[in-house]
Parts: sequence; structure tokens; C-alpha cells
Amino acid sequence: MKLFKNIKSWFVDLLKVWRREFKLVFSDVGVMLFFFALPTAYPVVYTLIYNPELVKNIPVVVIDDSRTSESRELTRMVDATDAIAVYDYAANLQDARRIMNSHECFGILHIPHDYSKKLGRGEQSVVSFYSEMSLLLRYRAFLSALTDVQLALGSKIQTQLIDSAGLPGQMVSGTPIESESIMLGDPSQGFASFVIPGIIVLILQQSLILGVTMLAGASNERRRRNNGTDPLAIPAPPAISVIGKTLCYLTLYAPLTLYILHIVPEAFSLPHLGNIFDYVIFIMPMLIASSFLGMSIGAFVLERESSLLVVVFSSVVFLFLSGLTWPRYAMSPFWTLVGDLIPATWGVEGFIRLNSNNASLIQNSTPYLMMWLLAAIYFVTAVTLRYVVMRTGNPRRNGYEKLYS
Amino acid sequence: MKWSLLINSIKRGCRYFVSRRVYFVSLVLVPIAFTLFFIDLMDEGLPLKVPTAIVDLDDSPLSRTITRNLNAGELLDIRYKSESFHDAIDKVRGGEIFGFFMIPERFQEKALGGDKPTITYYSNMTYFVPGTLSFKGFKSVAVTTAGGIVQTTLVGMGLDEGTAGNLLQPVVVDNHPIGNPWLNYSIYLCNSFIPGIIALMVMLVTAYSICDEIKKGTSVQWLREGGNSMLISLIGKLAPQSFMAICVGVFIQSLLYGYNHFPLNNHAMHMIAAMVLLVIGCQAFAVTICCILPNLRLAVSILSLVGILSFSVTGFSFPVQSMYGGIGIFSYLIPLRYYFLIYVDQALNGIPIFYSRWYYIALLSFPLISLLGLWKLKRRCLNPVYVP
Repeated sequence: MKLFKNIKSWFVDLLKVWRREFKLVFSDVGVMLFFFALPTAYPVVYTLIYNPELVKNIPVVVIDDSRTSESRELTRMVDATDAIAVYDYAANLQDARRIMNSHECFGILHIPHDYSKKLGRGEQSVVSFYSEMSLLLRYRAFLSALTDVQLALGSKIQTQLIDSAGLPGQMVSGTPIESESIMLGDPSQGFASFVIPGIIVLILQQSLILGVTMLAGASNERRRRNNGTDPLAIPAPPAISVIGKTLCYLTLYAPLTLYILHIVPEAFSLPHLGNIFDYVIFIMPMLIASSFLGMSIGAFVLERESSLLVVVFSSVVFLFLSGLTWPRYAMSPFWTLVGDLIPATWGVEGFIRLNSNNASLIQNSTPYLMMWLLAAIYFVTAVTLRYVVMRTGNPRRNGYEKLYS
Repeated sequence: MKWSLLINSIKRGCRYFVSRRVYFVSLVLVPIAFTLFFIDLMDEGLPLKVPTAIVDLDDSPLSRTITRNLNAGELLDIRYKSESFHDAIDKVRGGEIFGFFMIPERFQEKALGGDKPTITYYSNMTYFVPGTLSFKGFKSVAVTTAGGIVQTTLVGMGLDEGTAGNLLQPVVVDNHPIGNPWLNYSIYLCNSFIPGIIALMVMLVTAYSICDEIKKGTSVQWLREGGNSMLISLIGKLAPQSFMAICVGVFIQSLLYGYNHFPLNNHAMHMIAAMVLLVIGCQAFAVTICCILPNLRLAVSILSLVGILSFSVTGFSFPVQSMYGGIGIFSYLIPLRYYFLIYVDQALNGIPIFYSRWYYIALLSFPLISLLGLWKLKRRCLNPVYVP
């Protein structure tokens, strides 16, 4: 009978914590900012930044020393690519450098004086392209455009030469092997389509952690003012209050998750395959783990606002650890391990596959189970830290008060 | 008289700065730790040897040569030999590989018989860098294989090998990536993201330390010790922080350009000056925000939002010129943008400082703009109200 009573009282405590946390969230504008405004606005802002997707018509200066119809044809072909727009002609490399230094162009195409002569003789003509390297995305666009031009022009000239040499054309004209390139996940190779599915998952985690640490900081402030007890906290066992709070955050994040993972990609026509139920089931352990992680960090946050100083910069670190920019296979074992400890690493990885590669939940079992494992680990740390804080009561007085007391 | 006020004010600023651990951590430890993290993370420069797979349905001498060629290049690591398309795409979806190369059945027979078989290669573009590298590796092998067969045919017809080779590639575009010929990713990312973290932390600490006085109600005392001059009080508070941040910034630059030998093609002073101006510009930017919103939580929240967004909107990865005009214009409101442009000109490209003059001037203008709002900040400092 006692067991039943205990279970009942735990349950009542759980519901009380849940309800109280709701009240705390909705009475704190700062927390609401992170819980609602940030996840609502950020995905839209980020997508707007990257939504042009492709880098097009990058200005390039041409130095045409050949001045023949062949060199003009090459220039026209380069200009006709999506990526490059011929901005101007320059007389020599000095002039072209001057234009580039004035930030008016980002590449220089140099056609040598013997360009068409060599073509006519059946020799190889080498054209130089100088690329400004501040952004690798521009270089990438240049490179793929120029390779395409080189291949197209090459096969055209090849046909002419073979015809004129009197060789049997059909035997060698064109290529003996056709090749076809297929881009998976992001067929247009757009930047937003690549980066946004990852970023939105990270936003989900970071906004949750920011809000949770801010709530914890506020609670620590109250505790300090009230000689070691937080008057607004429900006196419940640590595990119960940790679970109760998480239940509250999960309820709040259900509509936000739907918005971020479904409506945002849909609204901006980003890659969006797979099943919405899969996303929700998949992301659940990440939210739970992030909530526990937030509460663990929160134990060290003495003031509401200092949570920002602690958590904000970590977004950039987490972004890189997730492997979105620098792939995880190239990381050292140490950084891979650190990345493993962050729920969003697995969340980003799995969500991208579900969303862009149309993978199934089964194919994503590793990230899914890892997030549950992290949830378990951070549950233990959160409960332990809460227990310690409740036992010791007053956390360290901060030095600032000492200075002015 | 004024000088002694200023000196007193600076002394108080130093005491204030060391009064709380969080300032030291945010301004010194975080940027340095972040720098070491970045330098170590991208140690290799380029994430070569992308895990990929081959689907060889032909299993002929020619197709095995292709597999060997794929593996021999620096770009790819053929980890798996998949039996079918489905097997390979499963591996892509499970994240084990970033692309695969598919050779159809009866490939050699068709290729040599002039029947034009089709090679298909799949690159997973959900991760840009490995996706692009695998694409590059696949494409070059596909092109050279075709070229090899043509060359063999031409030589068989009696052309000498040189002529046949020229015929294959009549036009070659020789690419010269200026300043970063290794296409080193670390050079590209460290030089943009690390100053971004410095800027972010400087802005946060500045706003925190100003609005904290208002929150605690000590701002009246702070102002009084500065002779009731907002400017002197601010300089007193911020000068020690500027000094620390500049030291940290220059130390980080020495790690990048000295220890790591990243390109620094102009005099080091140009970059050091940019770092000094960046720190002061960010402080001024934060002061301006504090003037508009003299509230600890709001000011710090706004600055974190701006600081994090500035990594994207300043065009480190996606060029500002390609953004929507209405979005791109915001990049010019952020000090970090000008530092990045100076870095590109002075360190990476090493062009005369004349071409970067406007960027330095723009960074200088941030402190001047911040002066305009000081009266409002002063009013709030005299009547500190903390709104939670």
C-alpha cells in the first residue's frame, strides 16, 4: 500500500512541477523570447539570408591577347554560364589586377596570344584563370562552370579537327562512354538547401538550452535572495522535478518542432522528403536530452543573463562539431567524441538523412539510439546536480556583491 | 583634473573587470579555446579521402581499372564494393558513404564496341564539402576513362600519341587560386569564424558590464566616480576590456599567421590595426545598442542574436553580393564585415592598403556613432530601474 501511496504522491508532484514550470515560463519575457521568438524567427531569417541558393553571374575580367573569333567564342561561352558574367576587358594583367583590387571583379580570364593559332595547328591551348579565394563558394562556382566550358568547347573543336583530318568521324566523335552525374539530397546544389536542414535542428536544441539555463539562472537568483531556497520551486524529489520540467518543455516544443521541421522547409521549397511522423519520433530524444543538458548546465549559471554568455558562443562550436561544414570522418577521435556528447550532432545528422536523403528511421538507428543514450546520461547529471544544489542550498556568492558590500 | 578622473575611472574599470570570473572567461578563455579548437579541428586543410563506394556490375578488366583509378586519387576512399544500386544508396542513407560510382553491366564490351555505355555517379550534396570532393573525384575519372579509350582508338588509327592527346583536350583551363592554392579549408574558415567569436564575446561582455551596473543599481555610483561624465565613465569601464581583448586578438592573429603560417601577404601591422579597430568597433556597437535598449537582458539578447547572425550575414560562406538586397545591406551595419574585408585584402590577397581605406574608416566610424546616444544611456544610469 505504501508503494502505491508513494507512486501517487510522485505523480502529484510531477503534475505540480509541470504546472509550475508553465507558469514560470509564461511569466518570464526573456525565456519566452528564447522559447518562442527565437525558434520562430531564426529559421526564417537564416533561410532568407541563404535563399538565393546559388552564386550567379560573378563578375570576371577577360584579358584577350588573341583577339580572334575563337577567343571571342570562348569569352562568349564563359559569359553564357550561370556562374560567370564578363564584367570588362582589360589590356593586360596589371589592369585586370587593378580592377580586382577595387573589388569589382573576382576572377581574371587570360587568353594567350597564340590561343587560336595552337587550336588551328591541332596543339593544346592553355587558358589561365585567376580566382580570388576569399570565398570557396565562388571558387567552386568558377571551377564547375569552367570545366563545363572546357569539355563543351573541347568536344566541339575535336569534331572539327577529326573531320578536317579525314578520320572516320563516327568512330571517335563524341565520347565512347557517356557519364551522368546525379546529385543526391540537394539536386540543385543550392546553399540554403544544404545548410538549412542542419541549422534548424541546431536552433531547436540551442533555443531550448538557452531557455532552460535562463530559467535555472532565475531560480538560482531567487534562491540566493531567499537564503538557499527557491520560493517558487515545488518541493519534489530531484528526479521528479527534472522529469516534470522536461514534460513542460516538451509540450511547449511540440508545435515548434512541427513548425521548424515541417513548415519551414515546405514554405521555402527546401528538400523535404520523408514522413512527418518520422521526424517527430526521431527528434523527441534530442529534445529530451537537450532539456536535461540545459538543466545540467543551469546548475552552474548563477544569474539569468549570464546563461547567454555561456551558451551563445557554443552554438558555433556545436555547428562545427555536427560535421555540417567539416565532415566528421575527417575529425580527430577526440573531437569526434566531444561531438558525440552533443545531442544536436546526432539530431543534425539524422534529420538531414530523413529530410534530404529520404532515409528511414531504421537506417537512422545509430543517431536515434545515441540520442536516447545521451538523454539517459544527462538525466543522471541533471538529477545529481539538482540534488547537490538542493543539499548545499546557497550556491557561491558572487564576487560582484563582495566588491560593493 | 579631468585626467585624474579618467585614471580613477580606469582603475575602477580594472577592479570591476576582475571582480567576476565570467568576464575573464568570456573575453580571454573562450576566444583562445575556440581558436585552438578550430586550428586543431581542421588540421588537415581539406577533408580528403571521402568515404565512397563502387557498384561494379561489369567486373571486367576495364571496370576494375576504373575502381583502381578512383582509389588511387587523393580525393576518394572506396570503402565498399556494393552489389547493387540499392545496397549503395542504403549506405548513403545510413551515412556510411558520401557517394558512389556505378559501372553498368557489359560495360567493357559496349565501350570498346562503340555502343556508348553510361557511367553514373552519385554524390550526396547534403554535406557540401565531401559531396563536392566526391563529385570532383568521380568526374575526373569518368572523363579520363573516356579519354583513354578515345586515345587508344586514335593511336590505333595511326595518330601519334601526342597529337591524339591534344585532340582529346584541345582547350585546357589552368586554374590559379590566388592566395590559397591548396584550397585549404582551415585558412578560409579560421580567418572568418575566429574573429567572429572575438567580436561576439566583446559585444556581449561590453553590454553585460554596462547594463549590469543598471541592473544592480550601482550605475549612479559608477557615473559619479567618472565625474558625472558618461564618456569618461564608459572609457574607464571599457578601456581595460579593450586592452585585454586586443591582446587576445593579436595573440590569436599570431597563432594564425605565425604558428600556422596562414597567408599574410602584407605588413602585419595592417592586420593588427584591423584587430584594434574591430575590438573598439564592437564595443562601440554594443554601447550603441545599450543606448537604445538600456536593459541588461534585452541588450545582451539582441547582441547575441546579432553576433550569431553576423556569422551568416557578413557573407563568410555565401557572398553578400548574391544575397537579397534587403538582407545583404545589414552586413554593412556590422563591424565584423569590415574586418573580414580587410583580412581578404591585406592578409589573403596582400593588395595595397589604399584599396582597403574605406573599411578602416568604416570601422572608425562605429565609435563616433555611439557618441550620439550617450545622453540616453546617462539618463538611464541616473535612474536605474531593473525590469526583469
